Amino acid sequence: MAYVATRGGEKAIEQAERLFRQDLGTIDASRVETIKQTMPYLIDRVMGEASLYSEELAALALAQTGGELSEAVLVLRAWRTTQPRIAIARPVQQDEILTQRRISAAFKDIPGGQILGPTLDYSHRVLATDVLEGKPYAPPAVEAAAKPAPSRQPSLADWQRQQGLVAPANASDVAPEDIPDLTREPLLFPASRAHRLQSLARAETGGVLALGYSAMRGYGNAHPTVNELRLGEAEVVVRHPSGTEFSAGRVRVSQAEVTSKEKGGFLELGFAATFGWNEVKVIAAATLDLNSAEAPVGSPVHEEFYLYHTESVEASGFCIHFKLPHYVTFQSILDAMRDAKAKKAAAEQKPAETRQMESAE
Amino acid sequence: MSLSSLTRPWAATSYGFLDASAKRELRRKMLKAIAVPGCQMPYASREVPMARGWGTGGLQVTLTLVNPTSTVKVIDQGADDGVNAASIRRFISRVSGASETWDTLAASIVQSRHRVPEEVMREDQILVLQVPNPEPLRGVEPNISIARQMHADADYGKLWLTLYEQIVRKGRIMQGAAYPSMVNGRHVMTPSPIPRWDVPKLNMAKHLTFLSAGREKRLFAVPPFTRVEPLVFSDRPYRVEDHADLTCRRSGVSGYFMNELPIDGGGSAFEVSDSNLGIKAIQQAEGTPVEIGKTWYRNGEFSA
Repeated sequence: MAYVATRGGEKAIEQAERLFRQDLGTIDASRVETIKQTMPYLIDRVMGEASLYSEELAALALAQTGGELSEAVLVLRAWRTTQPRIAIARPVQQDEILTQRRISAAFKDIPGGQILGPTLDYSHRVLATDVLEGKPYAPPAVEAAAKPAPSRQPSLADWQRQQGLVAPANASDVAPEDIPDLTREPLLFPASRAHRLQSLARAETGGVLALGYSAMRGYGNAHPTVNELRLGEAEVVVRHPSGTEFSAGRVRVSQAEVTSKEKGGFLELGFAATFGWNEVKVIAAATLDLNSAEAPVGSPVHEEFYLYHTESVEASGFCIHFKLPHYVTFQSILDAMRDAKAKKAAAEQKPAETRQMESAE
Repeated sequence: MSLSSLTRPWAATSYGFLDASAKRELRRKMLKAIAVPGCQMPYASREVPMARGWGTGGLQVTLTLVNPTSTVKVIDQGADDGVNAASIRRFISRVSGASETWDTLAASIVQSRHRVPEEVMREDQILVLQVPNPEPLRGVEPNISIARQMHADADYGKLWLTLYEQIVRKGRIMQGAAYPSMVNGRHVMTPSPIPRWDVPKLNMAKHLTFLSAGREKRLFAVPPFTRVEPLVFSDRPYRVEDHADLTCRRSGVSGYFMNELPIDGGGSAFEVSDSNLGIKAIQQAEGTPVEIGKTWYRNGEFSA
């Protein structure tokens, strides 16, 4: 029985998990609520990558993983996949979004206006160390504009289509319930447009940024101009069994449309959208979308390359799996290596041995 | 009639964790995989409460097969008490009510990472192998769409070429584990990173084998009594690891695949990799009545 006694893996894993959880302490509703209230952009990022819109569950996931982002996304995805699809929402149109921020770098002014909304873009990034000296930071109140910005904004691309700058959008007659759903089907290549955009929507922010940035630096062939960047809240309109449509609530969304050069007489557009407000992610993702049409196979802007490698749960899981024991595989490699070495040594030694034996005689 | 009489009581998760739609998709893909041996079937591969790369593919297949009368054995690198094997086995029994075992003979489902047990598996047993990379062509063609086309054309020339080049450069085929093998004379598969020692156990086996890669979203199968032939040249026979003459320092068994343990001052000791076979041998030596099944290898020689 000594064989068993020296192991004891089950006990070790239980205690290792306890150690992790002990360091985080008791998790209660107030901790979850504090995370939810104070970290909205972190919550947004996690909701986007989990493709699950629930601020409360995202905050809970962050609390129970201590902010280990890939772990937080994994617990949310694992929970999400057990939930049934009870309804399919009506597709969101850009001009229906309750828009809080909407800017374009393509024109100085655009129909509907440039709406800065909440942003740190033009602030000086100075660490508020005074807070640590006991002087709380209370943000100065926002002064309302004389004329409020319209809550809903037209799509700039629609104006560009009217001007013949952008190719006409072909209205799709696919019923909402027939839109391919990445969470229920495997991703195959070439990916459908729906799968590509869904995959980018739930992609890992850092991964999308890295590959999108590589495209921006020159590993793609299109330098993006932000045609339109929009942060807003979209109504989730679903159909009641009685047939009436109603809004089940609003979700924060980001979307970016980037453009580059002319192709076939029109400006090309790259698009991305995600749950939550995450500008870096949608600009980088839209850049990848824009570049993928003529991307060489194996380049970072080729869809198979960037969709596979920005999948957060798969990438992080595979990376950490290398911690698992691999001694069987390793033994197999050692065996082949030792044999090859022995063969080589034998081949080199043979002539020498023959000579020695001759002289001994 | 009320709504509650038509529905089951609310539960946090479905039986066996995966919901009915996930299981239905998996069952269809598993049947397809049996119908076309060795051919990779894409599947949605739902997230499970474990990290990708930690057996999520094997787990989804097991969760689809399992029922309350099942007996499940889970091994990692041959050991039942490896930390991850223990975690997976505990999860399966928790969500399905299946019994747990370490004994290959007692299991109805064996989920394994990188080993096939040494005791011969029967018709009524299913082996589920966890697969990190389902694509035997990945080394010669990283693009999955092109590789898929190559399988369709049975275009395995590049694979043969790498094996040939190894012989030219090193005097032997250097492929360690995951030895590419032709299934049913048509599809080349990776048998998952099992040692070369284990590949012959899949050939014309009585049991059904599923191989499932959760992260890569592909599963494939070797149905019972199906040919699994390692790719070899007719003048260079297939060689398993040179373990036939090694003896386990704990159990005293020999002629099985071993773990090598470096010892202080140089040299190595060996322990049998199929840990429960070792335990049973110790128990037998101590006089405990225990059944050791027929093994694929006898006196270090494969003889199925």
